[in-house]
Amino acid sequence: MHRRSFVVGSAAVAVLGQEGWTRSGRQAWAQEAYPTRAITIINPFPPGGAADVVARPLAAVLEPALKQPVVIETKAGAAGQVGAQFAASAKPDGYTLLVHIVSISGFAEVDKLYGRPVKFTRDDFIPLARLIADPMVLLVNDQQPYKDLSQLVADVRRRPNELIYSSSGLHGALHLPTALFLRAAGLQMKHLPTNGGGPALTALIGNNAQMACSAIAAAMGQIRAGKVRALACLGAQRATALPEVPTMKEQGYDVEFYLWVGTFAPKGTPEPIVVRLREEIGKAAAAEEFRQAMKNIGQDVAYLDQAEFKAFWDADAKRVEDAVRQIGKV
Amino acid sequence: MLFYAFLGCIVGTLVGILPGIGPLAGISILLPVTFGLDATKAIIMLAGIYYGSQYGGSTTSILMRIPGEAASVMTCIDGYAMAQKGRAGAALSIAAVGSFVAGTFGVVMLTLVAPPLAGLALRFGPPEYTALLVLGLVLLAYMSSTSLVRTMLMAAVGLLLGCIGIDVMSGHFRYSFDIKELGDGIGIVPVAVGLFGLGEILSTPSATVTQKVVSPRLRELLPNASEWRLSALPIARGSVLGFFVGIVPGSAHIIASFLSYAVEKRVSRTPEAFGHGAVAGVAGPESANNSASTGAFVPMLALGLPTGPVTAVLMAALLIHGIPPGPQLVSEHPDVFWGFIASMYVGNLMLLALNLPLVGLFVSVLRIPYAYLYPLIVMFCIIGVYEVSHAIVDVWIMLIMGAVGYLLRKFDFDPAPLVLGLVIAPTFELSLRQSLVMSGGDWLIFFQRPIAVTLLALCAGLLVLAAVALLRKDWRGRLARAQASGEEA
Repeated sequence: MHRRSFVVGSAAVAVLGQEGWTRSGRQAWAQEAYPTRAITIINPFPPGGAADVVARPLAAVLEPALKQPVVIETKAGAAGQVGAQFAASAKPDGYTLLVHIVSISGFAEVDKLYGRPVKFTRDDFIPLARLIADPMVLLVNDQQPYKDLSQLVADVRRRPNELIYSSSGLHGALHLPTALFLRAAGLQMKHLPTNGGGPALTALIGNNAQMACSAIAAAMGQIRAGKVRALACLGAQRATALPEVPTMKEQGYDVEFYLWVGTFAPKGTPEPIVVRLREEIGKAAAAEEFRQAMKNIGQDVAYLDQAEFKAFWDADAKRVEDAVRQIGKV
Repeated sequence: MLFYAFLGCIVGTLVGILPGIGPLAGISILLPVTFGLDATKAIIMLAGIYYGSQYGGSTTSILMRIPGEAASVMTCIDGYAMAQKGRAGAALSIAAVGSFVAGTFGVVMLTLVAPPLAGLALRFGPPEYTALLVLGLVLLAYMSSTSLVRTMLMAAVGLLLGCIGIDVMSGHFRYSFDIKELGDGIGIVPVAVGLFGLGEILSTPSATVTQKVVSPRLRELLPNASEWRLSALPIARGSVLGFFVGIVPGSAHIIASFLSYAVEKRVSRTPEAFGHGAVAGVAGPESANNSASTGAFVPMLALGLPTGPVTAVLMAALLIHGIPPGPQLVSEHPDVFWGFIASMYVGNLMLLALNLPLVGLFVSVLRIPYAYLYPLIVMFCIIGVYEVSHAIVDVWIMLIMGAVGYLLRKFDFDPAPLVLGLVIAPTFELSLRQSLVMSGGDWLIFFQRPIAVTLLALCAGLLVLAAVALLRKDWRGRLARAQASGEEA
């Protein structure tokens, strides 16, 4: 139980009671006027991660609109599984929501791969909105001679399983796109998993790995300082921040991968509440305050409402599941 | 500006004092508060929380044997022993002064030599880290005041507990019994708080002689001349050692504090005093964890790379304020960089001014009858541990570890090696296997890299020294026995 929501909730009930509302009247009112107490958004990653830095400004804009506190609760663990599972099994009343990233699509597939009972699937969530979608970039460090992707591909093909790529962890958001690229190009490299995006970048810059994929925002400082070079962008179009970096598709590899952040409600959340949340999140995504906050972290708002987000998510999940199967059991 | 540094230091001290809530939880909770501030003020305040917590962490360790955060585990041992001898005030003062000296030393180093040193952090890849942790494991043998066998046994249990969780290399869940929260392994904070704090509290009522609460007089609050003398060198060594270990990525400040303890015990002329209130056992580790927390800023500021979870959150804070952390931070945002450095000089002074007068107040906490004090502490422990990741599993781990801690105390086992084993195991395994991935399974990688080979040579040297000492003792013993039997005959 969330202490803050409990306190706020009981305070609200107390106020209503004083005003002499009947029980049935109160329920009818509650149905019309969701929300009546604090809303919790579960952040399944350690503080400061992509989900966190998007959810917090969003919550700040949502609060005055919903006239209730919107609390970010960190439930990190097992690369985002713990928080997602918590949200999946939360009461679907619109008071527990989830913010998650691209890797949410992979957990069920990984469980299947290892013959574990599947804890939750994508069907356990109602997508509300996508907020940002940062295309990944493929990086090499400044000690490597490659000026473009074709040089890298040629060298890796000449000496398979010699060069190393680092990632944020097995089946993580940095591992999946690399695996997709390696398959598309028919290459073999050694995998150096670490325990986060920061350590993966550190390994690359320290030349303990020679290649890595990263979200643009996370690597921008290092790209500008010349410590790493971006050889390809994994978006459908070139990124506005890096207009000179060609896409994978331009270079003949059908690979697309985004580090996106979206919001979800547990399955079974009543439709009127879902509609209200979609409206408010849509308005918040357009708000100047939120756009500025996203600009600060080097992102453009890439808002998609439920229908488009659902279509995008379905296509994206295919890519992720594909990548998980491609990596296989290690 | 000064105000925010002050605010950060106060919050940091509180965060350090409250058991369970470590700097990471404290900074995460307060991160949203800084959204309204400009970048320099935000980073000054958040960093203040971080290094302030290294000051505060010693307080409960010394007074009640509860590590306020993981890096204060070593302080629990001799700090608490000093408190039981009525030297709580002295221990607290030495911890505060040591922290100040080490913190200031760290900032001076940060100001002067951050860029060249940052390169060192980059050269610390998996093989170097593996070698450093091997050194840590070798030094574990020096940790305990009880027997070597017991120490090794505790360390082994800690290492085994450290194997719980998802295997980073293969994705398998190990020993997690289908509890998803155990996927990231057993947290260090719940184990440390349970083993030390709860274990101590549980064993108090059953003690036949209730130890009298020592309420010291004012002049006894300050360390005497000999205590100052004994702590001067450990503070100096701890500062230097801590800073360099702090630059290395990972949970460096925990490792720094225990390396310092082991070093102090190794060089001490009275190693048998450790565990029974040795001043050096407080001065060294307390200084080391402070300069390590400053050292951790080197790669963050000079390279834009986080060395641990706390610096990762600080970098996120910069990012939120529109300052992308990277190698160009100093040249592009000199105001942020130098404001930050300046705030750390002032912050360390503030913390000293804040902590020294509070020594008397803190010590008087011991005057509160146990019947009131202990339930309060247990409550704080539970809330603090829960607050870290909002997982009830952590509370259970703490309670179970409390029971284990009670039994260990009854049977005279030292829990410190267990905690250190738990700290070392996951990192050691990961970096060892990462190294082998890099070399394609060739163990020679550890002997081809200069830093790694130096560290390993140091390990070998220590083992040889220990073996020689053992043999000599054995030989002397035999000689004595031979003489004795010769005289009899």
